[in-house]
Amino acid sequence: MMSDLTFAQHKHGAGEIIVEDISYSIRDRSGRLVELIARCSFRAERGLFTAVVGPSGCGKTTIMNMIAGYHAPDQGKIFLDGVQVKGASWERLMVFQETALFPWMTTLENVVYGPMVRAEKPLPQIRQEAAALLQKFGLAEFKDRYPNELSGGMQRRGELARVLINDPLVLLMDEPFRGLDSMTRQLMQQYLVSLFEEARTTTLFVTSEIDEAIFLADRLVILSGSPATVASVIEVPLPRPRTLDMLSTPDYAHAKTEALEILYAEAVAAFAGGGVVSDLKESFEKIYAS
Amino acid sequence: MAVDLANIERAEVSSTGSPVIKIFLRHGSFIVSLLTILTLGLAWEFAKPLGIPGLLRVPSPSTIVTASAELLHSPTFWQACYKSTLRIIAGFSLAQIVGIPLGFVMATNRTIFNSAFPVAETLRPIPPVAWIPISIIFWPTREESTVFIVFLGAFWIVLLNTIGGVSTVDKVYSRAALSLGSNRWHMLRYIIFPAAMPSIVTGMVISMGICWEMVVAAEMIAGDTGLGYLLWQSFEINATAQVLVCMFAIGLAGFLSSAAIRKLGDLLTPWSKKD
Repeated sequence: MMSDLTFAQHKHGAGEIIVEDISYSIRDRSGRLVELIARCSFRAERGLFTAVVGPSGCGKTTIMNMIAGYHAPDQGKIFLDGVQVKGASWERLMVFQETALFPWMTTLENVVYGPMVRAEKPLPQIRQEAAALLQKFGLAEFKDRYPNELSGGMQRRGELARVLINDPLVLLMDEPFRGLDSMTRQLMQQYLVSLFEEARTTTLFVTSEIDEAIFLADRLVILSGSPATVASVIEVPLPRPRTLDMLSTPDYAHAKTEALEILYAEAVAAFAGGGVVSDLKESFEKIYAS
Repeated sequence: MAVDLANIERAEVSSTGSPVIKIFLRHGSFIVSLLTILTLGLAWEFAKPLGIPGLLRVPSPSTIVTASAELLHSPTFWQACYKSTLRIIAGFSLAQIVGIPLGFVMATNRTIFNSAFPVAETLRPIPPVAWIPISIIFWPTREESTVFIVFLGAFWIVLLNTIGGVSTVDKVYSRAALSLGSNRWHMLRYIIFPAAMPSIVTGMVISMGICWEMVVAAEMIAGDTGLGYLLWQSFEINATAQVLVCMFAIGLAGFLSSAAIRKLGDLLTPWSKKD
């Protein structure tokens, strides 16, 4: 089914991201330098689904923006297949936090946009491929609608289609399911898993939800507080294809405990650093020690 | 809410109710507005003999109706409407043609912005009406000075709304477009221009209102035809009813042209249509 579409055709040998020792600082309102990211190193291996997990506001989005090429790290380097990342490129495409579908274009026009501006193929052919992709994404009936006429879940699928028609080497997803209701979110997770298992596009997925991360990913990169550093990398021992019933297996529970322990240590450190009363600390311990 | 209720009621009525109620519910809001205007007119008509001080010198609605009947038959009136409308179209269009591209250039080019913005901010606070004398001196004909004043009234609003729209394009859209492979032209044509369009349309709607203010003021001072000129002439020959007819005509013209621009705005931004 995928083979007639362009985006499954290359790969297996393309699309590996290496993040090497990157740091990034910004100036706060009073002009002081605040370090957001301190010497982060990790990799998104080709054909694997890597989830970057960490508390909100820890700089996950900043890292993704650097991989996408929207800004450069102060120190360190990012490589795609051995070539240093400079600037934005369709080889590394991002699905943004809230929908970034262009509101003034119909769903079809949005999907057509990338191949159209790069003019790699004649427009009628692009249109045909876009329509086929939307068919596959269950949006055929909505191809002439504007994004604000679509539901949240449809918008997410539309944006996935807009990205995947370009056949990127790496798919970057920055908390793409945030703001969806839990039912839609779960459906989107299952949908994304099946898409990934079909095409095996190297995927880097940022989330603050540990369950989401474990269900989707082969590997978790756990980031710690501020400035963000890589606290740990955990392999998810679940086989593919992933199914929802795996959420109740001991392997899943084990991976979750392991991840939570690291995150919990960070949370406690953050609390202690903030000088918060020890009651809170104890209640945290009670919840996660079991 | 109100609309939903009306729809529900209409659905219920349509099976059983009388045709009169049906018509009322279908055109409910229109009939209510008409009744309000009618009531106000009647109150005005009958309050006049009571000797309320403010109303003594103002002609009654019946006189105005008679005067408008006369005026509507005179070619002078239609000529005035025609002239004013032409000036509006000319001044308004010029403001868009100059203001929108200039706004684009200013918002996307730092050097041009830095050099043009101080000039704009110095000239902008001057009310367009204050430009009338200098405009009469500068432009060879009265026609040109009137159009220039109309242009000025619209220009600043168009310029500022365009700059505002262009410089507040959500970063997420330009980033997505950049990643997908857009060059500068694609960015301008497919991202920045449509993203700024709602703001530009707002500028158009507001500036159309200002255009009517300006054309009337300019015609009163510098005109030899037009609704503003006719209004002032009527005042000078003490034809107060005619003055009021001119006022209503200007009000109606302003209302219709704003509605037309809004319609145009809906066509330019089909994605922001609400249902």
